[in-house]
Amino acid sequence: MTSTIQAPQVARGAESPRAAGGPVQRKNPLVRARPWLLLAPALAVLAVLLLWPLVRVFLFSLQDYGLREIVSGDANWIGLANYGEIFTDPTLWTVVLPNTVGFAVLAVAGTVALGTAVAVLMASLGPVWRTVVGSAIMIAWAMPAVTGTYVWVWIFDADRGIVNETLQAIGLQDEPVNWFTNRYTFYAIVLLNVIHHGFPFVAITILAGLLGVPKEMLEAAEVDGAGSWRRFWSIIVPNLRQVFAVVIILSTIWDFKVFAQVYLMPGGAGSNREALNLGVWSYVESFGQNRYGFGSAIAVLLTVVLLGITVVYVRTMLKEEEL
Amino acid sequence: MKRRLLPVAVLATAAFGLTACSGGSNADSGDVSAEGETLSVWIMEGTNPDSEAFFDDVAEAFTEETGAELDVEFVQWADAHDRFVTSIAGGTTPDVAETGTTWTAEFADAGALAPIGDFVEDEGLGGDLVEGLVASGTYDDELYGMPWYAGVRSLVYRSDIFEELGLEAPASWDDIVAAGEAVKAAHPEMMAFAVPGDAEFPVYPWVWGAGGEVAEQDGDEWVSGLDSAESQDGIAFYTGLATEHGFSSAGATTWKETDVLDNFSQGNVAMALMGSWTPAAIVEKNAELEGKFAATPIPGKDGGIAPSVLGGSHLSMFSTAKNPDLAWEFIKLMTTGEFAEQWGEQSGYFPGQASLLAETMESDDPLVAPFATQLVEGGGTVPVTPKYGAVQAKKTTNTAIQAILSGQKTVEQATADAAAEMNEIMNGD
Repeated sequence: MTSTIQAPQVARGAESPRAAGGPVQRKNPLVRARPWLLLAPALAVLAVLLLWPLVRVFLFSLQDYGLREIVSGDANWIGLANYGEIFTDPTLWTVVLPNTVGFAVLAVAGTVALGTAVAVLMASLGPVWRTVVGSAIMIAWAMPAVTGTYVWVWIFDADRGIVNETLQAIGLQDEPVNWFTNRYTFYAIVLLNVIHHGFPFVAITILAGLLGVPKEMLEAAEVDGAGSWRRFWSIIVPNLRQVFAVVIILSTIWDFKVFAQVYLMPGGAGSNREALNLGVWSYVESFGQNRYGFGSAIAVLLTVVLLGITVVYVRTMLKEEEL
Repeated sequence: MKRRLLPVAVLATAAFGLTACSGGSNADSGDVSAEGETLSVWIMEGTNPDSEAFFDDVAEAFTEETGAELDVEFVQWADAHDRFVTSIAGGTTPDVAETGTTWTAEFADAGALAPIGDFVEDEGLGGDLVEGLVASGTYDDELYGMPWYAGVRSLVYRSDIFEELGLEAPASWDDIVAAGEAVKAAHPEMMAFAVPGDAEFPVYPWVWGAGGEVAEQDGDEWVSGLDSAESQDGIAFYTGLATEHGFSSAGATTWKETDVLDNFSQGNVAMALMGSWTPAAIVEKNAELEGKFAATPIPGKDGGIAPSVLGGSHLSMFSTAKNPDLAWEFIKLMTTGEFAEQWGEQSGYFPGQASLLAETMESDDPLVAPFATQLVEGGGTVPVTPKYGAVQAKKTTNTAIQAILSGQKTVEQATADAAAEMNEIMNGD
């Protein structure tokens, strides 16, 4: 990609308009290297800030690395034993992965669906109401995850929460129910929390894309007799394919590694084993027990999985586009 | 600023002078002269509501004694463990730090702490330290944590309601059930006895009170006793308060100890196991409760006192300390004599020096004496092994209790699973 960048012509008096990417330039190594030279500072910073930590994490994942190794600074290589332990842990297959993957699928679908619906709504509003709705959803977005989680915990509190009181008042429930002890109700609450917190980003991003869809195409389709449902699926969705790809990839990454929203829920920090997800499980198993090597192995696997998901998305969503 | 502090500083110096004189063997300690040096110290935030002023006094006295400056940094309990680990990794540990009793063995095992047993012997303090804190501060027969302050959980109850119903402080398990039934009948809006499902320390008194053990060392091996008949008996009684007798609530299934404190302060709870540091917090949250609650040692199954975990903090010297003698001067200043006593009074904890604790024992305060009795006659400790931190991180005991309370598992199944998990973690390498 970078090779297509053309070095701008240096104006040399009257000769300048003549030379337009002639073969003369290719012979000059400095000109060819120039894009890389210009990128070098940024690449160096990225290598130091991103690549080296990644390499270190991978090296840690091959060691039994605990507090003792931190103090002494010695390496303690154990090969792939950490990975072996991860894959043979029954909790991973029966609880952690189903919770994480199932939750991520539902959360991404919910966030994108609600976000798109709100974006379509906002696109059809006048400037005043668009500002009002935009500000309202921005507040949901701006709320810190910790604060939001506590609000949901209060709403569903067993003894004094509004949900239990309402259900009892209308006679659907005889006595208080602790919604946090059941795996499915627990994740239903997390789902509400995460969708509520995540949809504004989707809505704003898709709204920006929606406003860029040429009005003429929509009018032409309307003249041809397409209803609003048809116009949405046949014109808007194909036009916004890249926007959807970005939004879905980002949401997937976020929802896969959701931590605070689970950890802070009653029982979510490990005492309710049925509610463990990948984030909390890896924290409890590694950092809680000073097993940094094991934690690094989980981090490496998570990175690989998310990279895989991203590649699949990018390929399917942008197949016809030029990459 | 300076002018306002001056009288206090004079007082503090005077106070220190007194203890220095009465100490006897302290005569040679004046040798430490560290003019121009600075001792860095980490202290947990929130134990003493007025710790800034307290440490201003300590700093004055410390500089007076040694010539060195004191640099105290306050650390939140919640981030403290992570901060210790990152500072150990980066080689930026303080010279001295407050370490929670369950962390001392862990950091000592990692080689981050310096042994202080010789200092203690030289001062002749060996016999004058609270035993439970010495046990948790000892790793591989070496003392790494200097006992500083201790707290213990006992049975806290609403004395106004007990009086109204003509009840006595419970002295056995049957008394607890009888009192609970009476409270439940007269005050159905209250929780007669709170059974929090995400709390570990309120569980062990019932295990020990029934004659069971959490875990015992057998040679090199640790064996959890949570699945013994006695332990199951105790845990069945404790969880039965919620599941059979309905003294607790559905919400309490996922409560932490802080939730118990909040609800007791709001007047929703009649009986609960709470720490010796909580009465001040309860009154601070709800002044109306002042004088309306009391404490009593946790009863064993058929009477007597059931042991309860003795918690608290050590002062530990890190192996990176530049001047160990100076660091020890500070530790001694904090953990013995005037300042130790003052800290205990201000924070509501008991001093880690046995002779000071004995003085506290003579108190007839209804919210001090029962805790002191519990501490001295019924102080227990969780297994002293660096691996126990991993058991706590995994919430092994909490998981068992929560599973029983929520109906996921029976007592037998939950305790068997917990014991198996403990054995696996504590004997893993």
